Amino acid sequence: MRKFIYYTLLSLIVIGAGSCKKFLDVNTNPNSPTTAPINGLLLRVTNQTALNVFRVGDITSYYVQYLASPNAASPTDTYDQIDASGTWTNLYDVMTDIYDMEKMAEGAGATQYQGVAKVLMAVNLGLVHNLWGAAPFTTAFSGETPTPTYDEATANFARVLSLLDEGIALLQQTGSKITMPTTATSPDLIHRGNTTRWLKTAHALKARYLNQLSKTPQYNPTAIFDALSKSYTSNADDAFVNTFDVRNPWNAVAVANAGQILQGWLSEYYVNMMRDTVNNNFDPRLPLIATVTKFPDHPYIGTRNGKGRIGTGINQEESYLSTTGYYSSQTSPLFIITYEETKFIEAEVAFRTNDKPRAYAAYLEGIRANMTKMNVPAAAMNAYINHPSVSVGADNLTLELIMREKWKALFLNPVTWDDARRFDYAYQGFILPLNAVQATFIRRLIYPNVERSRNGANVPNVGSVIDKLWWDQ
Amino acid sequence: MKKMLLLAWSIIFISLPLFVFSQTRTITGTVTDDKGDPLPLVSVVQKGTNNGTTTNEQGGFSLGVTGNNVVLVFSYSGMQSQELNVGTSNTYNVILRSGGQLSEVVVTALGIRREKRALGYSAQEVSGDALVQTRQTNIVNALRGQVAGVQINSGGGAPGQGSRIVIRGVKSLGPGKNNQPLFVIDGIVMDNSTITGGDAQASIRGMSNRAADINPDDVESISILRGGAATALYGQAGSNGVVVITTKSAKAGKLRVNFTSTYGIEEVNKFPDVQTTYTQGYLGVYDPNTIFTNWGPTVDAARAIDPTHPDKLFHNYARGYQQGNQVRNSISLSGGTDNALITSSFSHFKQNGVLPNSDYENFSVRLNTQLRAGTKFRFSPTINYIKSGGYRVNAERYNEQLSYWSPRWDVQDYIKEDGTMQGYRDNPIYGTSVNRFKDDVNRFIGNLSATFSPVNWFDLDYRGGVDYYTDFRRHAAPGPRGLAGERNFSDNGLGFVREFRISNRILTSNLIGTFKKDWGSSFNTTLRLGNDVRAQKFDRVTATGSELDIPTLLTINNSKVRATDQYMEDYRIVSAFGDLSVGFNNYLFLNVTGRNDWSSSLSPGFNSFFYPSASLSYVFTDHLPKPNWLTFGKLRGSIAEVGKDTDPYETNAYYNSSILTSSSQVTWTRGDRRGEFSLRPEKTTTLELGTELRGLNNRIGIDFSWYKLNSRDQIIPVFVSPTSGFGSVITNAGEVENRGIELVLTGSPIKSRDFSWDATLNFSRNRNNVVSIKEGLTEIVVGDWFGYVGATATMKYIPGYPVGNIYGTTYQRFYGTKEDDKRTIDRSLPIVIAGTGTNAGFPVRDLTQRILGNSQPDWIGGITNTFAYKNFTLSFLFETQQGHERYNQLANFQAAFGTAPFTADRNTTKVFSGVLANGTPNTQVVYMGQGVGPDGRNYTDGYYRNVYRGVTENFVEDASWVRLRNLSLTYRIPTGITRTNIFRDASITFTGNNLFLWTDFSGFDPDASSFHSGSNVDAFTGFAYPSIRSYLVSLNVNF
Repeated sequence: MRKFIYYTLLSLIVIGAGSCKKFLDVNTNPNSPTTAPINGLLLRVTNQTALNVFRVGDITSYYVQYLASPNAASPTDTYDQIDASGTWTNLYDVMTDIYDMEKMAEGAGATQYQGVAKVLMAVNLGLVHNLWGAAPFTTAFSGETPTPTYDEATANFARVLSLLDEGIALLQQTGSKITMPTTATSPDLIHRGNTTRWLKTAHALKARYLNQLSKTPQYNPTAIFDALSKSYTSNADDAFVNTFDVRNPWNAVAVANAGQILQGWLSEYYVNMMRDTVNNNFDPRLPLIATVTKFPDHPYIGTRNGKGRIGTGINQEESYLSTTGYYSSQTSPLFIITYEETKFIEAEVAFRTNDKPRAYAAYLEGIRANMTKMNVPAAAMNAYINHPSVSVGADNLTLELIMREKWKALFLNPVTWDDARRFDYAYQGFILPLNAVQATFIRRLIYPNVERSRNGANVPNVGSVIDKLWWDQ
Repeated sequence: MKKMLLLAWSIIFISLPLFVFSQTRTITGTVTDDKGDPLPLVSVVQKGTNNGTTTNEQGGFSLGVTGNNVVLVFSYSGMQSQELNVGTSNTYNVILRSGGQLSEVVVTALGIRREKRALGYSAQEVSGDALVQTRQTNIVNALRGQVAGVQINSGGGAPGQGSRIVIRGVKSLGPGKNNQPLFVIDGIVMDNSTITGGDAQASIRGMSNRAADINPDDVESISILRGGAATALYGQAGSNGVVVITTKSAKAGKLRVNFTSTYGIEEVNKFPDVQTTYTQGYLGVYDPNTIFTNWGPTVDAARAIDPTHPDKLFHNYARGYQQGNQVRNSISLSGGTDNALITSSFSHFKQNGVLPNSDYENFSVRLNTQLRAGTKFRFSPTINYIKSGGYRVNAERYNEQLSYWSPRWDVQDYIKEDGTMQGYRDNPIYGTSVNRFKDDVNRFIGNLSATFSPVNWFDLDYRGGVDYYTDFRRHAAPGPRGLAGERNFSDNGLGFVREFRISNRILTSNLIGTFKKDWGSSFNTTLRLGNDVRAQKFDRVTATGSELDIPTLLTINNSKVRATDQYMEDYRIVSAFGDLSVGFNNYLFLNVTGRNDWSSSLSPGFNSFFYPSASLSYVFTDHLPKPNWLTFGKLRGSIAEVGKDTDPYETNAYYNSSILTSSSQVTWTRGDRRGEFSLRPEKTTTLELGTELRGLNNRIGIDFSWYKLNSRDQIIPVFVSPTSGFGSVITNAGEVENRGIELVLTGSPIKSRDFSWDATLNFSRNRNNVVSIKEGLTEIVVGDWFGYVGATATMKYIPGYPVGNIYGTTYQRFYGTKEDDKRTIDRSLPIVIAGTGTNAGFPVRDLTQRILGNSQPDWIGGITNTFAYKNFTLSFLFETQQGHERYNQLANFQAAFGTAPFTADRNTTKVFSGVLANGTPNTQVVYMGQGVGPDGRNYTDGYYRNVYRGVTENFVEDASWVRLRNLSLTYRIPTGITRTNIFRDASITFTGNNLFLWTDFSGFDPDASSFHSGSNVDAFTGFAYPSIRSYLVSLNVNF
């Protein structure tokens, strides 16, 4: 009897302990996995890299006066200190996913994915570098260090170029263990798995960043021409995304504005430059971008940066991004880098090296490529291009013209703020915004609050938004 | 009467010789309350011994006593205990009077009623009467100021809004970690979380803490168990203290009916001040459409330009609020026989908030039964159904929008005839009428307790309970209708409908065996062994439809863009425990407990943790000779450890998905939070010493405690730089120490037949200190709150500094040769004034975040006075929290928009006191306004926008307060009147809550918080739902 009780108790304890262990085994997260499919990451990073171009463009477009706020003395318009924590976090979140995809690709011998990761990392790091300069990279992303240290701005810039070189080398390899799908629904939203186009994009980006050194002694026209020669040859090569969750983010801006949540207002400077009443050469791209006002005699009116709206803001007294505009319709492409940009880079470098005929040809081709892409009617396109204020002839070509037409053709793209700073904002008639809180043009951003509060010890001191970054000195 | 007396004396004298020499006899009798109703379960103890019993359902008792000069002590929860000198008679009728918050018996862990004298730790009980008097809608609020060591802050005055209760300071540092006590209702653990899951809106819409579901009229008493030893038996769930709620139960006999009806009105108790001189515009130029609410010209100047301008500016903070009201009706019926007792209650509560379009409603039905089968088996099923919810408003957004709304326009003029928004920009009142969030909670709390007493030395108790609720939340807003001149409320976007389906279930099972043994006359022991299982399952599905096709049809079926997501959570914990109490001669008591938890949320190998406790109580007045004035004296001490696990799924890192709707492709991204496989449980060690003294015939009492809590291995989601690859990392990140004292003084200065005065004073202070944080980290950011141009305030943990510190930008101080630690601010030093540049002549901002204040009060206290004169009872409670600061976001906005009273000096010039960078005094005269000043210099946006609003130091204000929390007057309708009618008893009570507030804080009442009641981020306020003052009248009738 005693034995019986003893064994019963013992077996109860054993069963109890075993079932207890099972009872407690419920800590496997039913909502989220601990690893992700590589194509799910590729989809994410191609989509989000384009969105980061938008997010940065949503700041820089006010600095280059494409857009203006409907509110008087809006901080972005007037160079007041803005907190770009959201943009900063998005840039690093996407770089984190790129980092994971690259690690996964490297482990699997998927050189294609690895190459794409390098190129996309360069794009995002380039955006960070051009806004802030010094920023975490070498100790970032892994989670090992909660407070990553800041790499020097020059180191980050060098990293952008080396990432592109590494990406090019990887994309040139054959025998990737996993190949990117090349179907129309490929998770590679940018080039649908086409490595040739990725290589061209990598070279185009290389040309962009090498050209950014124009104010520095490192400026190397030969290298830029070399990169350009391996980059785009037509509009068909462009790097863009037009697959979105619901809509192109600029369309979301336009739709919200149409729903009286005021945003996406065109700057007075932009509208005036496009109307060009001085030379009487109306830019046919403006109607493809902007809404018309309620005034039949003045269909296009911009808003002065820093001034804010004139009336109530809801009576079509100004021009806004159109919900059906070329850059702001539901399925509009969101460009990362384009063929016309390479042509304008070529024009600029050729101009700087005194090869005026080449510069002039590239300049005209840049305008034409952009207008062709936008489906500007041939007659209007030719009328604009052939106008003496545009077709000035190779000898009369100026850097201002190249930069102005580049600025027009790269509407909303953040690279134009890099250009503006290199060019010291010397666009025709470009002036400080109304109610500017700085005496000169803006040159950089202050580090965002999220970094100052979470990584304060590492954040470099920044005096002011008018301090020039190293390549802008 | 005289005859009776004579007879009694005759009997006593005749019987005397028979008993005077006898050694053992049996005393019998009945115990009733002052209305003549029998009191069951009254403790009857022979003084100086552990010989005792309890009364039966009819209030009867029978106790064998030995010795001469026998004194019996009768005690019962909520009643004043009474001593009876036993004479020669063997039969006594004892009447216990109600009153006195401190009683002899308290309900402790696991619902065990224990004699207070035997407790080696502090426990304080509040009777239901004291709670009901305040007529608070939320049971947590009703405890305010009544209990030492308990800090309660209402999140705000929203209908049904959650309140935050913290006992003995913050012990878990994680911003979202639960520091609130465990709620136990009739022995069953109850969920008191404030669920905000999955929706940012929910965390700012003043959701209820789930204890708000309880009908305060159902509560018999509440015990607060503060210390570790008190709570060891609840394990980690009780590591923040335990609130033990006992509900009313029936008494055998005739059917009783109790009906209570309360009606009240409420209003905002304090508004921010505004300047009334300058109207809408910018740079002094009038503009009736600009966002700049108050940077225009004077009202007179504006009226010269615009004849439609009102002759006085509107105080839109005041006009944005209305009078609220509340009504509660509850009825309870009880009765039965010895073997079957039933209580049932029904209540309905409805509150309309002071913020337009906010309300809350609560229905509750409760059935409580006690069944007895023979003498060995008792059985008690209880069921409670609650339906609650209402329209919740986003008060933060509302007050922010009120700040954007110019006082040139009346905020109450908000709607056009066609139903669209009136006004030059977003009108917040219109917003609350169309952008609506509603919750609908259906909750069942059921439990079954059974007791089997086969022999007199052994009891077996089982309690099984279920607490299940569903919460259906809906957030919806229409889209623009496309009418000419229509202005859309911007938060509505193109219209949306968001539906949440939340369910939560907690199952508890608790088995305890109790062995009692008396070892001779001086020793007794009680040993309890038990097992405890808790399983919680949470499930949420969210469906969103946006961009409505028909703008006003609020259904997902009508939306162009649809999205869904889901979250599930499982959590389980199994425990085994033992509890041994030893009593020696009824004056020395030792209690030892041990408990082991096995938790599902920690990794195997780390998920089993043991913690012990020991406590000692010594009633020295029953052992040593004592002075006559001292009736009772006790010393107590305890040491305990409590472990605490973490939330589910925090031991790994995950990937999250989202969908590209247009192409139906799934994207994956690394989750923002990184867990750690080897997380260890947090451990809190508590050392507590205390004493209880009562004297002058129990007319005065002192209860004092000192404690020290060390919480190690804190599990904290540390916010980290997003560049690290994660937004937060969960880790065992440090140690925090809390030290404090608690003092309760009770007194009855006057006690006569017709008039009595009782007073209770609570005082407590808690000091805490972050002892260490994880190696490699210098600080942990808990939360931050927006302020213009870098004035964002941040809560951080830094070793060597207390929890609750608020950091932000300051005016730069002139340190000269003094060393600047870059962390603190030396306010004795002169402010540095810019000598050159655009801000020349103005103070220089220092962007380094420095300590500007602390959100934890230095001390808190409350004084309750109760005066009873014949049928009138007057009671009032003063409450205070002293020595703490809060960041006032509203003041930051008021400075930015020129609304604040001090910005009215904009047309003046002044010389800022301070020194230039070289240390020489500043002499430069500057203009305080915008634009070009009288000196011809262009001051652009002006001092208040260029400098003042960017300095957090200006907005971290002293949030100390004293308030008349509660004043109530009760008139008990004389029994002579009621008895002749059908009432047994009736009373009417007038109550005022939050009647007076004394504080230096500039905005709304600083009691409200910008974060929901479950959050540890309590340093930020300003735009929170304002606190309210309420006036109530309540009628209580017993049939």
